[in-house]
Amino acid sequence: MKKLIASALVLMVSAGTVAAQDNPIKSRQALMDAAAGAAGIAVPMLKGEMEYNPAVAKAAIATFYGVATAGQAFFPEGSAGDSKAAPKIWEDPEGFKAAFAKFQSAAEAAFQASGKEGPADLKAFQAAVGPVLQNCGSCHETYRLE
Amino acid sequence: MRRILYAGVALAVIAGAVAWFLSAPRPLDESVLAGLQPADATRGERVFWAGGCVSCHARPGAEGDAQLELAGGLGLGSPFGTFVAPNISPHPTDGIGSWSELDFVNAMMRGLAPDGSHLYPAFPYASYGRMTPQDVVDLFAFIKTLPPVEGKAGESDIPFPFSIRRAVGFWKLLYLSDEPVVAFGDGTDPAVRRGQYLVEGPGHCGECHTARTALGGLEYSQWLAGAPSLEGRGRIPNITPSQDGIGSWSASDIAYYLESGFTPDFDSAGGEMAKVVRNMARLPSEDREAIAAYLKAIPPKP
Repeated sequence: MKKLIASALVLMVSAGTVAAQDNPIKSRQALMDAAAGAAGIAVPMLKGEMEYNPAVAKAAIATFYGVATAGQAFFPEGSAGDSKAAPKIWEDPEGFKAAFAKFQSAAEAAFQASGKEGPADLKAFQAAVGPVLQNCGSCHETYRLE
Repeated sequence: MRRILYAGVALAVIAGAVAWFLSAPRPLDESVLAGLQPADATRGERVFWAGGCVSCHARPGAEGDAQLELAGGLGLGSPFGTFVAPNISPHPTDGIGSWSELDFVNAMMRGLAPDGSHLYPAFPYASYGRMTPQDVVDLFAFIKTLPPVEGKAGESDIPFPFSIRRAVGFWKLLYLSDEPVVAFGDGTDPAVRRGQYLVEGPGHCGECHTARTALGGLEYSQWLAGAPSLEGRGRIPNITPSQDGIGSWSASDIAYYLESGFTPDFDSAGGEMAKVVRNMARLPSEDREAIAAYLKAIPPKP
């Protein structure tokens, strides 16, 4: 039984990998769109243009957490294609890995700080999500073309 | 026959003399400094960030306070060769520490080295030439407060015939002007005027966002309408208020983008523009708002 579950898991994981290799550009662009959608909630709340809501805040943070944790897998060697991915991703794989790790740890910390209900108030949200948002520009500066 | 030969030689000599005269450096003299207030490093810091000096003159990849070490070293690729940004820290021999105020003004506004030779326009003096001399001397005062850095940056790699510096003199006849690019009438909003100064002068936005002629000058009829990227793939976007440009952005969208890097769709700026945003974020908010007001006021281009 255990063996069966293990092989089923392996199958699922490898199916995921195959899907990623199938169309990594589309996959990573969809993930980045998800992150942009999350920023589209987070920033207006931070600017006071949208009323603060802890559950919505948590949804934004959870999205960043998912993107940050999964995203790096979708940049296989030779997948620059017609995308805005910068050649630097493959010229400096260690640097790219480190940039993603920074994004991942900020997002994970924010997710953990969110608790069950989401950050209690705007100040707590700012403290949690601020370090996550900084990664957008700093990573794009080196690893995206425009 | 001999007469024709003499005439030919005479013509060649005359043409050479005219070319030599036309390509000559035209430095500003001391009078440009007359009547200025004493240089002020605090005001100069604002000019420094508006000018984006660190984008090229900091060590590639430097962040935080390390950006203030203006060691140079970044290579700018172009169809004319690779230009390496020099050390402009106040080091007396490797940087610009021994330059006079007038030397600095002539570099910024006329594209001239202290020995009178032409600098290549990869250094965007065609834009900086629109700055006020006051801003330029304030900027110099600020740069003098930064740490001196030892060591020259690498050499530029400019193939013949572009390696003939004197020829840059002809380029300047065509493209160096202190005239504003966009003509605004009387009664124009002062914020638009301030934005015009920042964009057309120190901010040198047109250097990337405007297409270039075959000779490498800006195509002013296509002002800020986007251009092929000088380095590698991609296109620099149209930032005029048109459908192909950023006509759908509000002024506050533009100002917020310059502060945070987030577009109205919450895409986030990358590449060279991410560096520009880091610089712009250091300006007072009224300067970002002024740039936004100007970009809403210029002629839309498809």
